[in-house]
Amino acid sequence: MYKKILIIFIVLAVIISMGIAGSGCKSAATTGQADTTAKDTAAGGKSDVTLHMLMEDIPATHAVKALLPEFTAATGINVEFEIVQYMDMHQKLVTNFMSPTGQYDVIEVDNYWAGEFPATGWIIPLDDYIKKDNFDISVYIPSMMDMVGYFPRTGDNKQIYMLPIYSYSMGLLYREDLLNDTALQEAYKSLYNEDLKVPENLEEYVQQCRFMQENAGVSGSAMQAGRGDPIVMEWSNYLFALGGDYYDENWNATINDEKAIKAVELYKENIQYGSPEGALSFALDDALRIMSQGKAYSMISYIIMLPLLTDPEQSTVAESTKMIPMPGEMGLAGGWGWAIAANSQYKDESWEFIKWVESAEIAKKRALDDSTPARIDVCKDADVIAKYPIYPTMLEVISQSKPIPEFLYSAEMVEIVGRELSLICSGEKTAKEGLDLAAKELDELAVKAKLK
Amino acid sequence: MMITGSGIHALPAYIYERFYAYMKTLAQQKKRTGLFFISPTVLVLILVVLIPLIFSFIISFFNYTLVDPSFDRFIFFKNYSTIFQDAYLWNSLKITLIFVFTVVPLEFVLGFFIALLLNRDIRFKGLFYTILTIPMVMSPVAVGLIWKMFLHADLGIVNYIFSVLNLPSVNWLGSNKIALLTIILIDIWHQISFMILILLAGLKSLPKEPFESAKIDGASNTQSFFYITLGLMRPVISVAVLIRVIFSFKTYDLVYIMTRGGPGVSTELISYFIYKKTFMGMDFSQATAISYVLFAIIMIIVIFLFREMSGRKWD
Repeated sequence: MYKKILIIFIVLAVIISMGIAGSGCKSAATTGQADTTAKDTAAGGKSDVTLHMLMEDIPATHAVKALLPEFTAATGINVEFEIVQYMDMHQKLVTNFMSPTGQYDVIEVDNYWAGEFPATGWIIPLDDYIKKDNFDISVYIPSMMDMVGYFPRTGDNKQIYMLPIYSYSMGLLYREDLLNDTALQEAYKSLYNEDLKVPENLEEYVQQCRFMQENAGVSGSAMQAGRGDPIVMEWSNYLFALGGDYYDENWNATINDEKAIKAVELYKENIQYGSPEGALSFALDDALRIMSQGKAYSMISYIIMLPLLTDPEQSTVAESTKMIPMPGEMGLAGGWGWAIAANSQYKDESWEFIKWVESAEIAKKRALDDSTPARIDVCKDADVIAKYPIYPTMLEVISQSKPIPEFLYSAEMVEIVGRELSLICSGEKTAKEGLDLAAKELDELAVKAKLK
Repeated sequence: MMITGSGIHALPAYIYERFYAYMKTLAQQKKRTGLFFISPTVLVLILVVLIPLIFSFIISFFNYTLVDPSFDRFIFFKNYSTIFQDAYLWNSLKITLIFVFTVVPLEFVLGFFIALLLNRDIRFKGLFYTILTIPMVMSPVAVGLIWKMFLHADLGIVNYIFSVLNLPSVNWLGSNKIALLTIILIDIWHQISFMILILLAGLKSLPKEPFESAKIDGASNTQSFFYITLGLMRPVISVAVLIRVIFSFKTYDLVYIMTRGGPGVSTELISYFIYKKTFMGMDFSQATAISYVLFAIIMIIVIFLFREMSGRKWD
């Protein structure tokens, strides 16, 4: 009898433990059911619909968040932001896309991922929605639409997968007070037989950085040469300034050509003679602290840093900090776009949100709250310019920049190039050795992505 | 009992009989009770640990990627042969072994030393315990961010203190010769509390009689330590060291926050290498193949350490 009771207990324990283990699946199924119910209700009044979004923790996100009650009041749709650091976003999004029913509805897409997400089918084309609502896309800066709008960028089969949110193109931030310093001007003239002025090309800029480091008591350039995207973003400006690129038009890697090698050599020279000691480990925030504390002559950085560096409460060199497009041919463009997840339960409601947040009225409100506009009309709006006189400069920087290649493996491309640049700059490889290997791996990526 | 096609309905009865027979052979009631209590846990572990492990092992033989998550292409050992041709994987393995076999012995020696100090009658013991516990309750991400600020080559407080003391500044994270050492030191700072607390708990539970007997026989403190303390502490030391070895192999957060594997590839630990393969290369198959290589290495080391430390030779 005792043994039978014991066996029954064990069998019960098995059933209970299986129930516990399966509770995750059960709750997921229940959630799915709840979502379906909510969607059905939404057809009537939308009062139960809540859109979930993963957002980067930056001022532009908080500008949108402050306006969300207006959206809910107008549409009855609730919105919940999950605000995280940039470095956590890609991993969270990719994991989310693998699930049949995703957690996020509206997706904030960095231009890094603007090739990956459409190519994998993780986000959907917006053409039908745009056509149905006659949404005007001519208001956007064309380079922004190319970068975080269309996929592919060119060709007959290009579609609109995203609408631009804001730009973070890169340009040159420099200290005007140091450039206008008479003593420094004389010293520069006697040393190089040239005038100390706003640099017109990359070679002149690198030369100035070294001069400032040796003569002005500050670092020449607050560089962000930490491995990964910081070093790649910064170096891409050197590459594009010299007219180089990652691939040619047939997706053959050109990252080891003469221009690229020269770009690496100039970059390495600047790290060696014109940057703070720890530059090889610096990300944006490390470099920004040096610049904002007046410890550097210049910084190649994002336009969204300009409001911060010209704010006397956040920068000791607010009065003298100026920005120009990258000296040379081009700078690096960057930006974000709104998209709708293919596994979202609320695609129509998601479009409602995008349409609202990108309307002229809301875009202007966002621009007046520290969010760089992607719409030309907002950039040129008198109220916006009155509050942010720097926006015309930003528009100039955006127009003279281009993005990194956008394709399925852009993120891996950045990782490869970042690794090799870091190895070159830390002296473990020559420029040619590093770039040759990078070019070989980039060619393999293009083949893997079926681009050639 | 034979199970035949026609006798399939007799299957539950067959299982019952076999299980009953097994239970009957259990000699002691203790064992039956133990089996009864652990069975739910074992089943949950099978469901949430063993099944994913088997699934990921199967993935490592397919071309299963985040872009194309399907089992269409069985490629045998190609993932394994590919990863072994990657020079950066070998570098990561080398860096990881250096990291583990520097961090764990240093943590053990320092941790044991501090645990012995705390095992004496000293004042402010509660305060010391509190201070020692603080790093352990901090998340590795917070530790990484705090130390990244402290060690900022130009604006960090550590180099500022060095400058006050007229010492040269150190490029803690920006030099490929120093960055790994920096990560090692921070990991020791973060994890040593664990070692201290486990060893201290072990020391507290040691019986007093062997020490009193040794003292009567004229043994010195050093002799008592080497011949009695170490001997009695072996099970505790085994557990502490094994846990730290396993967790050190899996260190990821510090590298992710502080260096991203750089400068160059000087701090690219294997866990970070696997992360890159998964979420940047979007290649689950190769990532799982590397994970199983890491799993095999850890298992070999753990079995070796277990045999060496947990009694067979020492007993």
